Amino acid sequence: MTQLTPTASFMTCRSPFIIAIALLLVTVGTAAAQTRTSRPSGSRSVEIGGYALMGQFSFAASESFDAILGTTSGPIFGGGATVGLPWGGLFVDLGAWQYAESGERALVLDGQVIPLGIPLDVTIVPIEISAGWKFRIRKLPKLIPYVAGGYTSLSYTETSTFSDSAEDVDDRFGGYHLRGGAEFKVTRWLGVAGEFAWTAVPDAIGSGGVSKTFGEDDLGGTSFRARITVGR
Amino acid sequence: MTVLKTVRSVGLVAVVGAGLLTAKGTGQQPPAPAATRQLVQEASLPAIDRGLRDQDAPRAARSRDDADRLRAEAGDRLSYLRGSVIVKFKAEATTAGMTAATRQVAGDTVDRSGWANFDIIDIPDAADPEAAAALLRARPEVEYAQPRYRNYAMSKPNDPLYANQWNFPAIDMERAWDIQPGGTTSIIVAVLDSGVAFHSGTFRYNSRFPFRLVPGGPIYPALGIVDVPFAAAPELGTSGSTRFAAPRDLIWDDAFPVDLDSHGTHVTGTVGQLTNNSLGGAGMAYNVRIMPVKIIQAIWDEIFSSPHEGTDDVVARGIRYAADNGAKVINLSIGRSEGGPAPVVTDAMRYAVGKGVFIAVASGNTRASGNQPNRLAQPAPDINGMVAVSAVGRTLDSAYYSTSGSYVELSAPGGDQRAGGINAGILQQTLDLDLLETYERPVAQYGPPRADAFAYYYFQGTSMATPHVSGFAALLMQQGVTSPAAVEAAMKQFATDKGAAGRDDLFGDGLINPRATLRGLGLAR
Repeated sequence: MTQLTPTASFMTCRSPFIIAIALLLVTVGTAAAQTRTSRPSGSRSVEIGGYALMGQFSFAASESFDAILGTTSGPIFGGGATVGLPWGGLFVDLGAWQYAESGERALVLDGQVIPLGIPLDVTIVPIEISAGWKFRIRKLPKLIPYVAGGYTSLSYTETSTFSDSAEDVDDRFGGYHLRGGAEFKVTRWLGVAGEFAWTAVPDAIGSGGVSKTFGEDDLGGTSFRARITVGR
Repeated sequence: MTVLKTVRSVGLVAVVGAGLLTAKGTGQQPPAPAATRQLVQEASLPAIDRGLRDQDAPRAARSRDDADRLRAEAGDRLSYLRGSVIVKFKAEATTAGMTAATRQVAGDTVDRSGWANFDIIDIPDAADPEAAAALLRARPEVEYAQPRYRNYAMSKPNDPLYANQWNFPAIDMERAWDIQPGGTTSIIVAVLDSGVAFHSGTFRYNSRFPFRLVPGGPIYPALGIVDVPFAAAPELGTSGSTRFAAPRDLIWDDAFPVDLDSHGTHVTGTVGQLTNNSLGGAGMAYNVRIMPVKIIQAIWDEIFSSPHEGTDDVVARGIRYAADNGAKVINLSIGRSEGGPAPVVTDAMRYAVGKGVFIAVASGNTRASGNQPNRLAQPAPDINGMVAVSAVGRTLDSAYYSTSGSYVELSAPGGDQRAGGINAGILQQTLDLDLLETYERPVAQYGPPRADAFAYYYFQGTSMATPHVSGFAALLMQQGVTSPAAVEAAMKQFATDKGAAGRDDLFGDGLINPRATLRGLGLAR
């Protein structure tokens, strides 16, 4: 029996990443225009920015992911747009990222996982709508801490060899998230950021598969994300 | 000792018929072998395939009574052999203690055969073996003791009809084969039965005594020396090929467990009949290797005075032999409903499972006649890695004959011709019964059997259900589920619940679902 090694394929993950880069480039243009025409930061204008992100997501359903994919975490790639609102540090954010991994179907017998050599692909694409607050530190004007929270709409697809369409999974689930981090402005319109995020998508799994065996129903987890931001 | 007992049981009839009949031989008589047989020719003509036997007149259903016919005429209806018992002494037993135990039951000889961790003690013919075994069990140096109960095939062959293996679609095998196409030669399934048509050649037997099949029935003459042609079943493999692994005959004590009954060959077909070869039908695990181990005595074996019968000790030795010679799965479509427990067999089963061998055993065919349990299957719930199999018919309802009980763990297609007609049995290729069972003919047409002609027959019974589970186990092992306990757990986890919700005594945990089991679980579904 072939032991399949989970392979995080950049090819499969890069689509949202490319979209994010494109969004970033568009935003660069917009931000540059704003730089020329809008008022300075801290003013009461609407500020539009974009970002690309990459990170590592650790799933709450660790036993389930470990049994099928051989890992409890994996890389994520994505991007989004941020709109700074004209009320202090308030902002809203619309972002998405993707996690894709391959594994194999398995049996779980008396707690022992027995891989069956049947290829299985999992793809997770959450869309996150957040509202948050950016803090200004007078002594460190280039460092901008922020916190945010919001709604997560998560797409989950699971396909495997020898399955018919009714047996594959293609569903969307609702959840929520909290995240916090800090952005460092490298230039006036270009920055880097690091953030921790906690996501909960309850009752998404757990009715079948190994997630039922392990009693795990949450498709959320925790993640660390690095961002490249464009805009003010 | 066993040889003498066998000869004597038939010999009673010989005395009756001696003044009436002259032994009938076949041509010039070479020296007669005693209670052995001789392989007189390695090669034989190609097997004869007589096709689907769907137009024959219905045959009476076979039962344990058929196997007992010769003994019945001899006045021997006991479910065990007289004159000996099985005993296993504890490891710490002293020679003096064993001698004392033997003397207590007036025993005088202790015999240990191959593939046995137990002994056979000779006791007087007049002694009651069950009482002797009880006396021995009470002694501190004895681990267990039991009579040498006889075992029988568990099927009920019936009328052949349509070439329709409904049983495989019924358990979604087409999609299961997509996932695991028949296993590979790395898996060996041992079929412990009446033998298997795996070898081509001619054996010389000696039919020394006339007999009656039924009390008051006609007397069939002794045939004398007869040469019986055998051939490998075309749907199982080529004689001498690697398809067959480590064959062993514990009825004749040699390496040629050829089938003189048809039961073992039919069962083997369901385990692993060649598939996708444009011939006949399919089998569950059609690429695995088959280990034929003969542990059941057919009527012909008895007519030819085989040295052993299918007693518990022979069954136990067969299980140990299979485990010691590379089998991964053991199919036991045999058993008995009479007598007490079979600790000697249970001990062997634990030994085999401990060596990584999965065991499937028939639950029995007695529900319509008292529902006595198959004593060999009863320990199944206590042995993780061994399952007792009940039977369903074409409608997937419990078959009328399928023995129910708390020891039933899974069900599989075994056919129900009472509910579904003749073609609701399980179809496989086996020996042509017209040419094999010549003792079913009038005396004037009685003659030596042929075991080189084959046809497709519908049989029904838990014997037919059990090889579905054995083949299924082979596929699971090929898929990476190597522990017998894990195989059992996986089968139960994915079984389709039937009858009362949850486990019940008719279906156990339900009807096997090979496709779902082999496919296993995803993350969410």
